Amino acid sequence: MTIIALALSILLGTISLAVGYAQGGAHAYSIWFLVLAAVWLITHFRKWYWFSSLALFLVISAAAFGVWQEFSTVWMLLGALGGLLGWDLSDFARRLSYAAPMDDTRRLERLHMERVGIVAGLGFGLALLSVFIHVQRLAFEVAVGLVLLAALGLTRLIIGLRKY
Amino acid sequence: MPRFILLGLLTYGLLLVGILTVKGEFIALALPLVTYLLIGYLQSPEKPQLAATRHLSLERTSPNSNVDITVTLTNHGTTLEEVLLTDILPVGLTVRSGFSRHMLTLQKGESYTFAYTVAGPRGGYAFDTLEVKANDQLAVISSRVRVETKGRLFVLPPVTRLRSIAIRPRRTRVYAGTIPARAGGAGTDFFGVREYQPGDPPRAINWRTSARHLDRLYANEFQQERVADVAIVLDGRLRTNEFARGHSLFEHSVQAAASLADALLNQGNRVGMLVYASYLAWTLPGYGKIQRERILHALANARTGDSQVFSDLEHIPTRLFPPESQIIMVSPLSDDDFVPLMQLRAQGYDVMIISPNPVKFELSYLPADGRTQLAGRVVHMERAMLFQKMGRAGIHALDWDVAEPFDHFVQRRLGRSPFWLRAIGR
Repeated sequence: MTIIALALSILLGTISLAVGYAQGGAHAYSIWFLVLAAVWLITHFRKWYWFSSLALFLVISAAAFGVWQEFSTVWMLLGALGGLLGWDLSDFARRLSYAAPMDDTRRLERLHMERVGIVAGLGFGLALLSVFIHVQRLAFEVAVGLVLLAALGLTRLIIGLRKY
Repeated sequence: MPRFILLGLLTYGLLLVGILTVKGEFIALALPLVTYLLIGYLQSPEKPQLAATRHLSLERTSPNSNVDITVTLTNHGTTLEEVLLTDILPVGLTVRSGFSRHMLTLQKGESYTFAYTVAGPRGGYAFDTLEVKANDQLAVISSRVRVETKGRLFVLPPVTRLRSIAIRPRRTRVYAGTIPARAGGAGTDFFGVREYQPGDPPRAINWRTSARHLDRLYANEFQQERVADVAIVLDGRLRTNEFARGHSLFEHSVQAAASLADALLNQGNRVGMLVYASYLAWTLPGYGKIQRERILHALANARTGDSQVFSDLEHIPTRLFPPESQIIMVSPLSDDDFVPLMQLRAQGYDVMIISPNPVKFELSYLPADGRTQLAGRVVHMERAMLFQKMGRAGIHALDWDVAEPFDHFVQRRLGRSPFWLRAIGR
């Protein structure tokens, strides 16, 4: 189940980017996303799990570049989401490989898919909302709240970085 | 690199670009990543509070025998969504069946039991901890703990039962045993004739001698049989035991030492054990079954070693051995071992060498060409000369071809003659 979901996620991410770039006129780049998908899948089956982090970085960078080039945001969002899911499922598959044959991996897979589904739905929904809903004026209190929230997140990140 | 760092860097990179370019789409692109991080943080596990127990089906066994290990892990903390637990095996043990690594979900208060079978070569193995890695389903934050579950497994060397070992140390102890004590008294072997004393049993009277002396009676005296102090020295020097292509005589030496210790303790002797390798491992002399266990545990942990200090036998600590006791050394021997052994003999110890033959051992796996055979003959002659020199110095040296089972060898070379053979002086 995980492997199928992984392959679908990788294809979702790379094909979305390829379509987005092709629609934007950058046909030359589209083929490279399909190459990236093939390399990602091959490296996963060869157990070079480190490549999924590099692939995520490449996919997010490509999506950001597409946004900068004003290609379709929805395709770029789908590309980033597919990359994120591919990266997550690749690591989950690696963790599952440590399980013994008698372990209840089906239950773990089901729980993981549920959680990832929530993340994907919520993340994509929020992103779409932020793209299509434009707030003309933001109250000062809300802006201060958002700044505080960002500062809190940044603090957590720095604490995490210092810990490792 | 922890997963949340990569995600965090990508998220903040996108947010920064979004702020710098004043384009909301970059921030929208970061939102799935933010959602992922946020849910991961919210679901991150608390520090796991776990307890584990371990049960071994056997705590002492023989080499390559199966031992079942059962481990139970109990979660005393909050529910752990994804747990990867690994029972860390001591080096040397291999899993024969089952698995020592599992992945599971552990509810609050739930216990998980798993079992597997291990086997290994001779050695002492200590189980120490169970490594547990707990994380949420997204594995954004993970927590690693080591849960203590102690356990010990001794894989003891195989012990071959030996019938008896004929040794004659100069000094024996006061307790009755099986070793001739060079003193007259109660026993089975004839020792001498002395004047009859009141209290001697009438059947002890030597009528033939008494008939020659009209005014006195004479009685037969028998040789007392007592127990003795025996120190077994196991030579674990790398240069005498290890040969080309990874072949080693040491396992044969260990088996011989174990069998000797077992037989000597069964005869009632006080036995100590010194493993002479990269360091000295001394098991204090003692009697009985407990001492047998101590010695077997010492032998389970015995390893060959290389040390400048103990590269020759000059540093055998003679102060450890009771004076004039029997020393049995199990060693393949090298040419320069003669002088230290002679010094031991000069100090009054009865020295017996049981020497696994390294020449025959090495020749058994080398190609049988002319040059190898010639080299083998030369080394064999050198070894024979060493044995002759030791014989002249009063050291009882026995050359053991390890192809012959040790019990056969001991029976042939060290077995005590039956009573009827001893009676006719054989």
